[in-house]
Amino acid sequence: MEQLVEIIRAVGRRLVEAQPKEHSVGNTVRKVLHHIREEYQTATRGTTVSTTQTDISIAKFVLQGQPRKHAAIPKTESKTTLKENDPDDPDSFARGLKPVLMEAIQDVLDELETVYDNISKNAKDHIHSDEIILTLGMSKTVESFLKAAAHARNYTVIVAETAPSYDGREMAQSLSSAGISTFLVPDSSIFALMSRVNKVILGAHVILANGGMFAISGSLIAATAARAHSTPVVVCAGQFKLTPLWNLYHEYGALDFGNPNDVLGFENGDLLDKVEVVNPYYDYVQPELIDAYITNDGDHPPSSIYRLLKETYDDEDNEL
Amino acid sequence: MAAKSASSGKEKLIDDEEEVLQAVILADSFNKRFRPLSTQKPRCLLPICNAPLLDWTFESLALAGVQEVFVICRSHAGLVKNAIKESKWSKPGSGMKIVPIMTAKETFSPGDAMRDIYTRGLVTSDFVLVMGDLVSNIRIDEVVRVHKERRKTNKDAIMTMVVKESGPSHRTRAQGESSIFVLDSETSECLHYEHVQSHPKRNNINIPREILAEHPEIDIRNDLIDCSIDVCSVEVPSLFQDNFDYLDIRRDFVHGILTSDLLMKSIHCYVAKEGYAARVQDTRSYDSVSKDILSRWTFPLVPDDNHPGGHIYEHTRGNRYISKDNTVILARTANIGTNTMIGSSTQISENVTIKASVIGQKCNIGTGTTISNSYIFENATIGANCVIERSIIGAGANIKDGSRIPKGCLIADGVVIGPNAKLEPFERLSARRASVVVAEATAEENDADEDDDSDIEEVEANQDSVDKATLGADTNAIVWPRGPPEEEEDDEEGPENYKNQLFMRLACDGTDLVVSDGDGSSSSDDESSSDESDFHDGASLSGLSEGSAALDLTDVSNLRADAEFKKEVTQSLERAFAEGHSVDNAAVELKTLRMASNVPLTRVKEAVIAAIVEKITLVEGDMASQRKEIGSVIGRWGELINRIGGVDPAHCASSPRMSLFGQILAALYQADIVEEDDIRAWHGLAESQGSDRKTGVETDNFKKCWLIGTHMIQQFDEQDSETETGSETETDSEDEDKSDAAKTPVVAPKVPAAVAAAAVAVTAGSVGDQDSSSESSESDAEETTEGHDGGVSEDVSASESSSAAPSTTASEDESESEAASSELE
Repeated sequence: MEQLVEIIRAVGRRLVEAQPKEHSVGNTVRKVLHHIREEYQTATRGTTVSTTQTDISIAKFVLQGQPRKHAAIPKTESKTTLKENDPDDPDSFARGLKPVLMEAIQDVLDELETVYDNISKNAKDHIHSDEIILTLGMSKTVESFLKAAAHARNYTVIVAETAPSYDGREMAQSLSSAGISTFLVPDSSIFALMSRVNKVILGAHVILANGGMFAISGSLIAATAARAHSTPVVVCAGQFKLTPLWNLYHEYGALDFGNPNDVLGFENGDLLDKVEVVNPYYDYVQPELIDAYITNDGDHPPSSIYRLLKETYDDEDNEL
Repeated sequence: MAAKSASSGKEKLIDDEEEVLQAVILADSFNKRFRPLSTQKPRCLLPICNAPLLDWTFESLALAGVQEVFVICRSHAGLVKNAIKESKWSKPGSGMKIVPIMTAKETFSPGDAMRDIYTRGLVTSDFVLVMGDLVSNIRIDEVVRVHKERRKTNKDAIMTMVVKESGPSHRTRAQGESSIFVLDSETSECLHYEHVQSHPKRNNINIPREILAEHPEIDIRNDLIDCSIDVCSVEVPSLFQDNFDYLDIRRDFVHGILTSDLLMKSIHCYVAKEGYAARVQDTRSYDSVSKDILSRWTFPLVPDDNHPGGHIYEHTRGNRYISKDNTVILARTANIGTNTMIGSSTQISENVTIKASVIGQKCNIGTGTTISNSYIFENATIGANCVIERSIIGAGANIKDGSRIPKGCLIADGVVIGPNAKLEPFERLSARRASVVVAEATAEENDADEDDDSDIEEVEANQDSVDKATLGADTNAIVWPRGPPEEEEDDEEGPENYKNQLFMRLACDGTDLVVSDGDGSSSSDDESSSDESDFHDGASLSGLSEGSAALDLTDVSNLRADAEFKKEVTQSLERAFAEGHSVDNAAVELKTLRMASNVPLTRVKEAVIAAIVEKITLVEGDMASQRKEIGSVIGRWGELINRIGGVDPAHCASSPRMSLFGQILAALYQADIVEEDDIRAWHGLAESQGSDRKTGVETDNFKKCWLIGTHMIQQFDEQDSETETGSETETDSEDEDKSDAAKTPVVAPKVPAAVAAAAVAVTAGSVGDQDSSSESSESDAEETTEGHDGGVSEDVSASESSSAAPSTTASEDESESEAASSELE
């Protein structure tokens, strides 16, 4: 069992190192680990007759975080030694556990596949008729969310272009082809339009443990403008974006700078020597600017994200 | 045996299914621009942004999905081999198979290396050829796909060169060595390639007129970075093998292929709009590529994401990269500027200022030192209060306290200078070896680096007593000579000449060239900055003037060469006539002759036609036998003219067979060698009237020829309208088409013969006779056409007749011919 976890961790570590800025990879690995442990525990516990559940108190909660696990661990240790070293049939335990683990992993996969459906399931509770929604960038989640809402409601979407990638154009095209009335506006007019907007819906790259998030550059402008006009900001994201990380050092942005080519063409040779061209890809949006997260796991305020994290991952996996 | 062949067959099948993308890296620079840095290790192992250049190249190829890489190494082959063995790429699971290939010491050029590839039979399919100093994030697999697609339809497209768009004066564009590409706008076929260097400087390029004739739209571009990424077909190495004098891939191979008529191969360009690719060709481009990497133009190949050296850097605001493993010791008062990279285990003391520089691993920088725009390799130690500007400091160098290193200095590995050394700009220093005796011994033992060693010895021998005042008391350095080498090994034309190399130096911005140039010759500051645009103008100008510039450029020596060439052609043709060669053989012979003496196609045409015309024997008096004679000669050799491509009838004027012009022209026409349009075009040219000729006789002759041409065209018009009127109802326009209708019944079946007859009439009789004859034919025409009803004139016939009308009038009166021809034009 420990071996298996270690192997998965090692694989996960390699994957994460290959793409240190794509946190979803690590998150999925963490989740797989979590599920495996859970299954393992239930499998071993299933043989024990009585499970004395230690009572959970609020006082102990911060330390414990996961009541289920703490309750289970003392028992599993005794049980595993019993089961795993079964002298008659050393493989029996593995044989019994394997399908269960595979099922657990399959669950994770299924969950990933149905993320968009689950998020957009209750889209119509969030979007009301004749509302004006502002979004930006091209987020699959937001796209399917808006399209799902369009089945039940009649509303207007304003899409910001989201320079320099101009993903917004793609988004606007996709939405209008789905029959939603769509406006494409330049990023600079976000603030001017905000007074008419009823709701800002954003996608997220990463949801951090403090309830803030990294999102495509321009999100911070939109969120700040929304705050100035007291417009609610809603973030649509799958649960796999939840990351046990804090943004400690860089207050205003994520340090993922893209290719400056998008901002200023490489062929402008004379200029290159004289200016610094940067293309920050993500903005850091503080939790205070966000009103709600809509995940495939239900809706959460930013302040309860840490709770969600504790439930989703095991503490020991925070550092892969 | 059978089993073996079966298995090899199977392998082949597998190969077909998923073709392995192969790449060949030429891990040798074949020049000495990085010296003395490159005396101890090859250029491709010099670190750029703290990872060897070769690793950047591997990373670029891995990004492109290359699966098998051959590394051709020559100098310091052992070092390269070890480096490959230790790099992460040779570990299992890297996805790339890297095979180092040691090549012989005699490999002195990329061409030799290519021949080596051929003899070893390394490549089995299309491959990517890159240099070992490439930094790129271009999707080469996309280029390969395009190349293969093209190969399916056109087997002769043997190579695709990857070029990157940039401005003409882009910092990453090599200053000393750049190139002008002439591309077909639609197919992006490379039509012409011109190598450009800063010295000797040129202000114009010649573009062969055939290119302008064959392609309706071309781009002449001086704004492309040549990335030296070539997708080559299997034939490419074999072409190098066949042409043993090809040395450089660009200057010799590409130029040779494009100018060759024999090979009939074509080369295409892939203009990369996105992505980044550049070569570290010289110290100057080392600087600019480093800057490009630090400012993330190579994304996703950036230090904090996919650093080829496998180090992990933390990227902070302002493109500062600091090693992430917490081994860097930064003093609190150290000032780290933008675009800076600091390797692991480096210590930076108080009050140090670092700007736009790369500091290697395990370096030690003393208090109060200022480093700007410099590159400091690993293990270097810099003392307190030094100033280093725009220089490269080699690995393990020791710069002691208070030294000043101004711009452009190259300090090789292991050099110790200072304290208080004061270098001149562009100084090159390397470490003196333990003793000359030992050096000689190693030189004998290790003949791999023989030439390098001998160079060093030379430098050492030339070394006067070391100047302790400038280099400091504890120095072990020797100064490399600054002036041009006394015996110039490379000819002035090559890019390796001394003055051109000045342009390739680190931190060279042109301003100092006057100072460093002893004679301050042609490389003044403003010229070097503006010559790019000059090139552009020159190129477009010569392009616009329809290639006539090439002819204008003929000076005295060219004329002499021409005469020689003409003689050669005549001789070889005479031999061909005498020995009865086949037309094919004669054509090949002529082509090689043309290549050998390097003359434009027009000259060949003129010479050949002159020779053939001379071949026609004169038969006095008897018209019929004369015609027969012409027919036989043209029938036999006319094809040759076609092979050479086109015809230019103007030459026969001076020949004694002038009188036969009409007949010959007719015979040529009949044999489909001369097209009607050609004759028309020639006729339209003012030159064909001999207006620019001096001597009276020739002018007369030209005029006569011109008249014949007039008749000929007249005939064509008739023929055309005949076919039209024949196909439709017999309606002719009232006034213009009379002559056509008149002659058609008689002439149409044998138009050229009739022309020939008319032509003979012209040349035999006086001009006056001709007038009367044409008038009479016209009056005949009027009579016959009056029978027909005047219908609505066809659009086509009207336009044709409008062109025919002036020519008729011209034939009537010779004095008016000038005006008429101008009308025609």
